[in-house]
Amino acid sequence: MSKEEQLLAKLRNPALKDTAFNELLDTYQERLYWHIRKMVITHENADDVLQNTFIRVYKHIQNFQEKSSLHTWMFRIAYNESIRYLEKNNKKGYEISEEFVEEKVKILSEDTYFNGDEIQLKLHKIIEGFTEKQKRVFQMKYFDELSFKEISELLKVSENTLKSAYYTAVKIIEEKIFE
Amino acid sequence: MKKFDKNNKEKTFLEQQYSKDLVERHSNYLGTEIPEGYFTTSKLAILERIKNEEITENPKKQVVFWLKPSFKYAVAASLVFLVGMTIWLQHLNKTEEQFTTDFELLSFSDDVLLNSILVDEAQFDAYTNIILMNEIVIKAELSEQKMDDLFLNSLFVEDSLIDDYTGKKFVESIIL
Repeated sequence: MSKEEQLLAKLRNPALKDTAFNELLDTYQERLYWHIRKMVITHENADDVLQNTFIRVYKHIQNFQEKSSLHTWMFRIAYNESIRYLEKNNKKGYEISEEFVEEKVKILSEDTYFNGDEIQLKLHKIIEGFTEKQKRVFQMKYFDELSFKEISELLKVSENTLKSAYYTAVKIIEEKIFE
Repeated sequence: MKKFDKNNKEKTFLEQQYSKDLVERHSNYLGTEIPEGYFTTSKLAILERIKNEEITENPKKQVVFWLKPSFKYAVAASLVFLVGMTIWLQHLNKTEEQFTTDFELLSFSDDVLLNSILVDEAQFDAYTNIILMNEIVIKAELSEQKMDDLFLNSLFVEDSLIDDYTGKKFVESIIL
């Protein structure tokens, strides 16, 4: 029995649920936070979405059908919560334009918890200019260290498509970052 | 991990072997930071919110002393016993009452019989006259009327049948 399976068994036991949930928070809180932060940009928003994510995990752990690993399932909840938050707060939609990228970078640079330099801002601009699929696969693979298989389960896109999108994104970054 | 600058051109920007520290990696590449001790305070906030939401969803019911399980079963048993006793006692009283009622009825019918013997002669004559008039004279008159009607009807019917019959016979005799 893997560590994750043991944790899941404890989460499903009402007597051990609270202790196991503490353990779950210790193990996944940081990874999920950074996953959410890259999607919703500011720390304040990421904090809200992270809380909503864990509350949803706590409430629905009994319904988890083990079609994927526990952490993939949690990443999916975090992803969906972030998308829900973005849809609620972004009435303009996701059409990528110069204006859209500038607005995103402006929000980021105004965040109290952003301390980036010129290069880092440039990386953000490049990433924000990607297609939605390219952006998500790059962030999930490079920063969240998810495997292509896990990202495929999360985004419901084939692994080959994701690999292609990821390597294209890496190439674009390498080309544009020091231009 | 060093911060990247334009002089690092000889290296690839995205490292293959990157730091395992998520905070460091995000800070170095994306410039994003978090408040100090954030994950500890966040964990407490999440646990607190879960606790509050559980209370809101399942509010603890205020238990009235006399509705506590230990007490309410004894109360329920007593109530059942009392209701049972009431029904049983009512049934007992009813049997006694029924016997009394029957006895009273018997005594009542005896009284009527005795009273009937002591009825005044004049009252009895008047009663018989009314009965005679209603039952015998009127009914006899009505039955006589009915008899007359029947006789008259039979006469008319027979005459028409005879006429019909003679008519047919007459026609047949002419034809033949």
